[in-house]
Amino acid sequence: MDYTEEEFLNAEQEMSRLTSQSMQKYGIKPNVLFGKLSDITAAISKGVVQWSRRSSLWPMQFGLACCAMELFDFGSPRIDAERGGYLLFRGTPRQSDVMIVAGWITKSMIPEIKRMYEQMLSPKYVISYGECATCGGPWWESYNIIKGIDQVMPVDVYVAGCPPKPENLFTAFLKLQNKIDGKIED
Amino acid sequence: MVTRINVGPIHPSTHGVLRLVVDVDGDTIQSVEPHVGFLHRGVEKLVENRMYMQSPTYMEKLDYIAPLAYDEAYVAAVEAAQGAEVKERAQYIRVILLELQRVASHLLWLGTLANDIGNFFTLFMWCFRDRDLVLRLLEDVSGSRMFYVNMRIGGLKSDIPAGFEEKTLEVVSYLEKRIPEYEKFLEKNPVFLERMKKVGVLKRDAAIELGVTGPVLRGSGIGWDTRKDKPYYVYDKLHFSPQIRDEGDCFARYKVRMLEIKESLRMVRYAVKLLPGGDAIGLPIKLIMPAAKNRISKVSRETPRGEALMYLVADPQRPYRLAIRAPAFINLFALSELCKGERFADMFAILGSLDVVMADVDR
Repeated sequence: MDYTEEEFLNAEQEMSRLTSQSMQKYGIKPNVLFGKLSDITAAISKGVVQWSRRSSLWPMQFGLACCAMELFDFGSPRIDAERGGYLLFRGTPRQSDVMIVAGWITKSMIPEIKRMYEQMLSPKYVISYGECATCGGPWWESYNIIKGIDQVMPVDVYVAGCPPKPENLFTAFLKLQNKIDGKIED
Repeated sequence: MVTRINVGPIHPSTHGVLRLVVDVDGDTIQSVEPHVGFLHRGVEKLVENRMYMQSPTYMEKLDYIAPLAYDEAYVAAVEAAQGAEVKERAQYIRVILLELQRVASHLLWLGTLANDIGNFFTLFMWCFRDRDLVLRLLEDVSGSRMFYVNMRIGGLKSDIPAGFEEKTLEVVSYLEKRIPEYEKFLEKNPVFLERMKKVGVLKRDAAIELGVTGPVLRGSGIGWDTRKDKPYYVYDKLHFSPQIRDEGDCFARYKVRMLEIKESLRMVRYAVKLLPGGDAIGLPIKLIMPAAKNRISKVSRETPRGEALMYLVADPQRPYRLAIRAPAFINLFALSELCKGERFADMFAILGSLDVVMADVDR
């Protein structure tokens, strides 16, 4: 089953509603102390979920073209992505939170990219890395290229450049974290 | 019983997108069929609608691990069509940059190969740290980390910056110390030897028949190297000798590339020493090209992946037709020959040892 992000955030409220419902059903009077404690745990768990989600963004190991070389450099000692919590690149979409689309998107590749996006679990983010994934780049006239990955799936952060430096990808991840925190609107 | 397995479309070391359909009997491979075309974007057609010097940026994206090699090959084809001479200093600088690019390319190959065959992630990190030093040198010259677009008709976009020679020699002597360390690290590792030796043997005759070039060919005991056999620029002055191994297995191809790194570093050192003074700047990019002298020009170059051929039919202003012989395309189709009778897990070692770039294959 696929949860939307909102449903996921509301899970805690739903839990407390169900608890109070069952308490009413069985005639259990709410304890003052217990009631306060549940509020506190709700607040903490909401914060903890958000904090852990923003602090361990796992990207998918998925390189299309040239920009994938800079993705390697993103994980290499000079940039060292792990210090930001962007852990080792995962080999499967099911274990990853972030999809970095790095390269041009050909018509024959669209169904595969779509399938991989659908296989990712629900709070999922997409970074469009480089000119080709953002707007078609130098291939905009080509007969086999679509002009931007946003025609296929929603994108959270765009990174410009051909190719962008790995530092720019780090900035994109910081922006994505701010977005998860709610500091940046869509 | 034969089982059909689909691999991809993804390249194990993310050099692009490749799909393999493998028939296995137990763990033994019966046949491998590469499905290509996932990165096709019609470069050869796009180039026909561009002016001559707008195209190098497309050429660089053919082989994004060694962009400068294709940049140079294309510009050389245009030069041959125009009948333009390359300035002597520019020839030396081109050779220095091309050889540095070869070192960077082979280091990336080594890192990803080590990652593919048994998760030697340490070596991946080391190779990328060292590759970064080389990229910084190239960035100093051109101002970009990956796509340099540094070649112009008859010369270069800009001369090398002040202090480049000293920096280069520093990096070269650092790498000359590091490469033997990597060799020691790998060649005394039983896991690495088990995965590489006597795996994916390509016989001498089969190599000729399949038309493979570059380190794959030289690993099978044939000393064909365009830099030696059809010398261009100042390669004949640098006492260059192609590196050959006779075994034809994955280890031989690995060894050839390691020796090539050493040879390239030696050549860079020598070329920096011989570097003449003078002017190295080529024609400005906006200059409208005069009508071509030669209608057809053919230029073959030794890129890190093998011999690339640029076949250019010239028109005034624009190429009428550009055909590219991509070494990676031809090397990739040796895979089905090499994998027959090997075990499934060894397919990735063999694919890694061929060193294909999918953008070059699909064009």
